[in-house]
Amino acid sequence: MSRLYIDNDMARFVRKDLTLVDMELFDGRKFENLEPRRLFPLSGLEKYITLLDEEGTERAIIRDLRTLPEKERQVIEQCLKEYYLIPKITKIADCREKYGVLRIWAQTDCGGVVIEIRNIIHGIKLLYGTRVQLRDVNDNRYEISDIRAIDSRSRRLIDSFL
Amino acid sequence: MNNVKQSPTKDSSEKAGHREDCRRERNGAAESGLRTDEAYAVNQPFRGKQFAANKKLSESDRERLEKHIPADEDLKFIVYGDLTIKSRYGGTFLAVTDKRIYGFDDTFENGVRIHTYDRVKRAFVKRYYGNAVLIFSMDSGGGEFVDFSKEHVNFLRFSYKVASLYDSAAFFIQNIAQGNSIDDEMRIMDASFEKQFCVCPQCGRNLIRPGAPCMNCQSKDKIVKKLIGYVLPYKKMLFFCLFLSVITTAVSLLPPYMTKLLVDDVLPSANKSMLTGCVLTLLLTYFIQYGIGAVRSYLLRISGDKIVADLRNDVYDKAQRLPMRFYDRTSTGSVINRISSDTSNIQSFMLRITQEVVVQFFLLIGIIIIMFAMNWQLTLLSLIPVPFVVIGARIFGKKIAPYYRRIWRRWSAVTSILTDNIPGIRVIKAFANEKRSYDNFKHYNDKWLKTDIRASRITTLFPNIVSFAVSCGSVIIWGIGGNLVIEGSGIITAGLLVSFLSYTSMFYGPVNFFANLNDSYQSALNSAERILDIIDAEPESDFGAGKHPDRLEGKIEFRNVNFSFDRSKKTLNNVNIVIEPGDIVGIVGTTGAGKSTLINLLMRYYDNYDGEILVDGINIRDIDMEFYRSEIGYVQQEPMMFHDSIYNNIAYGSAGATVESVINAAEVANAHEFIARLPDAYDTVLGERGTGLSGGERQRLSIARAVLKNPSILFFDEATASVDSETESLIQAAIERLIRGRTTIMIAHRLSTLRKANKIIVVDKGEITEMGSPEELMALKGKYYKLIQIQTMSDQLRKSKEEERFE
Repeated sequence: MSRLYIDNDMARFVRKDLTLVDMELFDGRKFENLEPRRLFPLSGLEKYITLLDEEGTERAIIRDLRTLPEKERQVIEQCLKEYYLIPKITKIADCREKYGVLRIWAQTDCGGVVIEIRNIIHGIKLLYGTRVQLRDVNDNRYEISDIRAIDSRSRRLIDSFL
Repeated sequence: MNNVKQSPTKDSSEKAGHREDCRRERNGAAESGLRTDEAYAVNQPFRGKQFAANKKLSESDRERLEKHIPADEDLKFIVYGDLTIKSRYGGTFLAVTDKRIYGFDDTFENGVRIHTYDRVKRAFVKRYYGNAVLIFSMDSGGGEFVDFSKEHVNFLRFSYKVASLYDSAAFFIQNIAQGNSIDDEMRIMDASFEKQFCVCPQCGRNLIRPGAPCMNCQSKDKIVKKLIGYVLPYKKMLFFCLFLSVITTAVSLLPPYMTKLLVDDVLPSANKSMLTGCVLTLLLTYFIQYGIGAVRSYLLRISGDKIVADLRNDVYDKAQRLPMRFYDRTSTGSVINRISSDTSNIQSFMLRITQEVVVQFFLLIGIIIIMFAMNWQLTLLSLIPVPFVVIGARIFGKKIAPYYRRIWRRWSAVTSILTDNIPGIRVIKAFANEKRSYDNFKHYNDKWLKTDIRASRITTLFPNIVSFAVSCGSVIIWGIGGNLVIEGSGIITAGLLVSFLSYTSMFYGPVNFFANLNDSYQSALNSAERILDIIDAEPESDFGAGKHPDRLEGKIEFRNVNFSFDRSKKTLNNVNIVIEPGDIVGIVGTTGAGKSTLINLLMRYYDNYDGEILVDGINIRDIDMEFYRSEIGYVQQEPMMFHDSIYNNIAYGSAGATVESVINAAEVANAHEFIARLPDAYDTVLGERGTGLSGGERQRLSIARAVLKNPSILFFDEATASVDSETESLIQAAIERLIRGRTTIMIAHRLSTLRKANKIIVVDKGEITEMGSPEELMALKGKYYKLIQIQTMSDQLRKSKEEERFE
């Protein structure tokens, strides 16, 4: 079966719910309650967004969000924002390790949080040289978008675990 | 969905009694060590009645509840969340009473949403990425502070931290909305709250019961203390080595003094007999120093090897007992790295600590005493570089520590590539991917190289700076001491100066040693951290150790089982199954539906599920693990064979099996014939992972293993999925002989393999959608019926293709 790729103004999207959209294609075909999800949540934030129906069947793939008209792009971006919660760490107040659990007191774009990481080796990963991904004991994810961009104290605190 | 949930059978008085028991148990838990605020959080009062919660109710929240909950409503439980509906961190909570559902979130208009049960069609938790939302499917209509114009209501948002509690809450709400008894549902809810307190508040490891003392935190003082435990068995040998070290150190202090005698007494007086005495004394000194040194080195090597062997054994032993979820997130390379190089690193450091540190310390003290006795002014001058060295060592320690962690991570990545690629060399060659494989390896190796070079800048620079600083100390002695001898002040003689310079250079040896000790300390600390990551990791819980019935009959029950591998997606959702002893059950469903997960839970590979799995009415968590697994035969799709003889591979897991029983097992499994045809027959040594045998042959050996084990319960996970029709019939015949009289669960894509099944379970997206006899399900014309139709067509097609080929 051929896969439907969406580029430019091939489709119109209407936001249906928190993470759901209705899609109408240029040829008149309509799809309801589609959930946009990233096929590459780590490496491609704006490329290859799959649209799944309620059964989890893929209906289409948006090749590149940036090629969509502004209005359609915003609809998809809003859904993705609701679906993917990866608080961006802006400042680290303290890091303490006790009983094998590393506790990081951090400020994020979603507010202050204490991140608990039980396995430092697997819980903190440096991606693509400058991005740091943290995964806590409950599988919640956090991110430092650019390690060079945070203040020097925060960098020093996290640096020893990278 | 055809929900096959077990309906409770106890009468209401029994239920009430059970709830009281639960409450008493919780109070007991509080007495037995649960932190006061948390014990209070499990069960708290509101308007004179108890309710359950995952956190202590604050005064402001109590006021909010007082304001919104009418006096005639009975608060049942509160689940505190951590995210607002707008994805900001903040205190939100779900309060559930016997009549309504309250969602408190400051970002809501009026700060609260209120529902009645009668409008909720379905309550469920939808997991997103890093967060989840409690959603209600609604009947249309309005409600207090709620817009019911939408079919779905996104009620509250929360992180994965509390997602499992919200799962239980959603289940509770849905069942109450469907008219179930609140008391019955509160039993399940109570269990969910109690599970929250079955983890250590300090380290997060599972506890035997709520509030039980954590063995890990109790025993954990310091890393060094744990490692010393490995040294203690060899303390006698190590003390003897230490004694020898003191002797060699003491005699090593003699030669500089002999130099002084030579320069000040022997040479000026031309005393030959004294010279002979000096020469013989020096010869004896060196003989003792190096002779004893050789014995000491040998004994140290032996004790060091024994220590590292013990440590490796323990790490490997523990690695065997770790739960599957550890291996789900840990690469094989990193585990191998820990068992091989990290243990060696720790061994060398422990020997340094127990031997060298003591020796160097004695040497330092001995030299200082001698130097002070010779000339205290020069001694003080020689101590000038020491403070700089101490400060430098502290700075160096802080700088180098992160590098060791980084180096290890990079090296771990390199070893992971090796452990992935070397066994997969056939695939690499088949895809002509040698260059890409090399480039990938080179990429990670280069990253390691880069990090190691960065670290080496510090590690090589620091010792040289220290050496330069201490050499400056010698220069001071040269300058000032030499001046004093030339001026003939009589304070020091030429011999004393030469001897003092020798002692000074000897003194800087221990100074250098202690300055650089931080380097190996930091390296060892990093290794110890990784080894203790395995040694201290929570093993597979075996709370029922030693407790088991004589034999399992084979009745299996799943009660309200929910499970997710990583909390981001629910793999099993509210699974309820009853399998009677001797039943042959076929589990069917599409790939990823959760079929193998059911087996994984039954095998106790994962125990972090909600709900209960019972065998013969006993919770499987309460049965001795070794006994339990010995009663189960498991035949997998890809049977694992070891690099050993066919005989040992069949007898694997059946220690003490007789030769004839092994042959008989092979016979039952339709394997004896092909084994007998092999040149080395049962002595044939298989290659790694069973190379040298076909897939079907490996599978039959795996069945022979199960036959030999004589289990009460059998699991087959796609046992004939990857073999041709002829081999399938051989395997099928073997399976049919094996399963007689045993409870058997078979997962199969080829529905023809389920022809003996008297019960079929259809799994779809983690839920049981159909369950019953094959005839019942065919009559139902549901998913099973469709699968049979599709399979029959494809079988006919395959058969006609095969016939065509033979013609």
